[in-house]
Amino acid sequence: MTRNVEHLPTSRSPIVSKLDFFNTVTGKPGEQIPTYRVLDGGGKPIDGAEIPEIDETFARRLYEKMQLLPALDNILYNVQRQGKISFYMTAYGEEATIIGSAAALEDDDEVLGQYREVGVLLWRGFTLDNVMAQCFGNEEDTSGKGRQMPVHFGSPEHHFHTISSPLATQIPQAAGVAYSLRRTPSRRSRSVAACYFGEGAASEGDFHAGMLLASTIPSPVVYIARNNGFAISTPSTEQFYGDGIASRGPGYGIATIRVDGNDVLAVLNAIREARRRCLEQGRAVLVEAMTYRVGHHSTSDDSFAYRARTEVEDRKRIDNPIVRFRHYMESRGWWNAEAETELKARLKADVMKAFKRADSLKRCQVGELFNDVYGGEEPWNIKEQREELSRLLKKYGKDWEPWRTELAKFKNGGQDLLG
Amino acid sequence: MQSTIFRPSRNFFPRRFPSLPTCRWNSTVAEPPPAGGHLPGVATSKLLKQTREAALRTSGITYPDEDRSSTSETLVGGRETRKMNTYQAVRDAMSIALLKDDKAVVFGEDVAFGGVFRCTMGLAEEFGKERVFNTPLTEQGIAGFGIGLALMGHTAIAEIQFADYIFPAFDQIVNEAAKIRYRSGGSYNVGGLTIRTPTMSVGHGGLYHSQSPEAFFMGASGLKIVIPRSPLQAKGLLLGSIRDPNPVIFMEPKILYRSAVEQVPIDDFELPLGKAEVLVPGSDLTLLTWGTPVYHCETALHMLKSPPPSLEKHIPQSLRSAKVELIDLRSILPWDIETVAESVKRTGRLVVVHEAGLTAGAGAEISAQIQKRCFLKLEAPVKRVTGWDTPAGLQYEKFNIPDALRVVDAIVGTLTY
Repeated sequence: MTRNVEHLPTSRSPIVSKLDFFNTVTGKPGEQIPTYRVLDGGGKPIDGAEIPEIDETFARRLYEKMQLLPALDNILYNVQRQGKISFYMTAYGEEATIIGSAAALEDDDEVLGQYREVGVLLWRGFTLDNVMAQCFGNEEDTSGKGRQMPVHFGSPEHHFHTISSPLATQIPQAAGVAYSLRRTPSRRSRSVAACYFGEGAASEGDFHAGMLLASTIPSPVVYIARNNGFAISTPSTEQFYGDGIASRGPGYGIATIRVDGNDVLAVLNAIREARRRCLEQGRAVLVEAMTYRVGHHSTSDDSFAYRARTEVEDRKRIDNPIVRFRHYMESRGWWNAEAETELKARLKADVMKAFKRADSLKRCQVGELFNDVYGGEEPWNIKEQREELSRLLKKYGKDWEPWRTELAKFKNGGQDLLG
Repeated sequence: MQSTIFRPSRNFFPRRFPSLPTCRWNSTVAEPPPAGGHLPGVATSKLLKQTREAALRTSGITYPDEDRSSTSETLVGGRETRKMNTYQAVRDAMSIALLKDDKAVVFGEDVAFGGVFRCTMGLAEEFGKERVFNTPLTEQGIAGFGIGLALMGHTAIAEIQFADYIFPAFDQIVNEAAKIRYRSGGSYNVGGLTIRTPTMSVGHGGLYHSQSPEAFFMGASGLKIVIPRSPLQAKGLLLGSIRDPNPVIFMEPKILYRSAVEQVPIDDFELPLGKAEVLVPGSDLTLLTWGTPVYHCETALHMLKSPPPSLEKHIPQSLRSAKVELIDLRSILPWDIETVAESVKRTGRLVVVHEAGLTAGAGAEISAQIQKRCFLKLEAPVKRVTGWDTPAGLQYEKFNIPDALRVVDAIVGTLTY
């Protein structure tokens, strides 16, 4: 006897007569969404796991960039402590998530990040001089002419949209960027937008808005949630009650996966497949990368105020993304202790060289304060205010010591407004 | 200060001014409103261009497809106009934008079937679902999506269904759209973004279908804000806004969608942003406004010149020949301070009229700048006639919006200060 299950008139929702509630994506009470991984905690391939096909050159490039990130972080964090730059954010612990995902994208996929994704830029060839210029806000800062805080990088050349401080604003913007790719014949079915955000930012209304748009319009965005366990001091247990960010994807009807963000090869596989599905469907795909923020939120934060040192030390030891991949590389005969020493020394030297150079440069001309507010004809109020500051600088710039020393930091010493 | 009281005969008005129906005095007369609102006084406005020649002679019109060597006589002779109301003119502008710019798309809530105010009628049928489409119900999503499109050099024409609902998009507009060019050192911009939204009172809108939020955005440097007063102005200013290299918020007075009808050039044309228009030249007082109150101001000028019998005793005879200069600001950000200041330096008196509430409305910024620029020429304080500092209570609307009587009262007060 065949069961005839009825449905609501205009949907596939089956009719049931048993009163029951559910609160998990998988349907089984208390069951969490699984996490995809290919290398175990020691860097050994898991039985039956599909290791991505990569050659030694590619593997070394992955590893080198994964080490470049902390080499950069080490120096710039300390440079901030010395007062030479105003602010910095490290990416300790998230190297596999960032470099692995960058490596899975095409170089011209449009990237919209949050603030911890400079690794994507490094993968794409953004130079250390570019990085330093933005952090120092000096005359070579192509990201923003010294107008933004450090780590607010941007580069059209590298298809990396300028970082902004407000969280999650990039999520619906990514849906629009991706729609433009759909509408551009040379990029349709070839390019995606990749949008990064943390598990804390995913609480913002913009997350919901972005998911809705990218799933319904639809537009091809690979959404990458870096679940690193903290939003400044707020642990993820205080950020949401549901099963992470991945549980939300099915709510929008989009293909979703949770991946071990500290397994660079799993991240590579997951993002590659996410990208493939994204292009095939022309619709958003969600990847939640589980990782851990080893460092402080930023130089303005001391995370030991809200977590035990032992917790951090244990995580660094037990689940280190760089060490796991190094073990894998060594097992393939692609790496050894000498190479490690050589790499670390070279990276440190490269970063130091760029830092020293950037430290010696001046800021842009002081008149850049007023430029680029508008495109096309400059409105009268901007003109008038530039003239007002010019008048004030001419009147007081030489006599008032605080202004005199400040002006000296700018290229041409303020002559563009004084002259 | 009372001059001799002039009492016209009962038949004075019909004989002397047959073309002025009495309903001119009641610019906000009470009658059952259609859903989209209706402003009776607009029907008899002389500010609307009812002939083809008048429309084509609109000051500041430029035609993108024009050969620069042509003389204006040739153009006036050759171009066609058609009678349009405001929503038809807005639709016409968007269809031209979509036709000429392959990268242009129109989106927002309910735009596909034609829009709640019919501004997008037939566009989805004509240009396809990929270019004219509905979005889910999320203003922050609409704004963010538009910003993303514009970041890639596409032309995003977004609609926010009512200006009252623009606030969820405030972060995207103020923190992102306004600042992208500056914060990226000019390497990115969202000049291709235009956000259209119906604004101002509609007769029965209450708190959440009547707001004028332009002043909230004045502090977001990097944005432009434009408010048209009529169909012809709406078409030209909207095309100008879409093509302007900055993100523009285009606020359309909703009560004018059906009420305002005039001849509008059918070709592709633009009107300049950042430029006010002197609608009635004058020498004794400058009356500055934008959007719907333009028509209340026009009525006020009639009331000043020829008061209806019931108001005669309130309008001194000596003031009835005062020449008031009526200016439509059109662009609120950046606003045309040159035109306004030049006028006030001549007249010595300024009355600013806007529907938005008094405190920190756009009139406050204008007053501060004008008192600074024209201080020694001012004969009276700058007077603002505005909505009160209350939300827009439904049953109280007639006493909330700055109607013609309040405007003429302010003119008389300022002239006699």
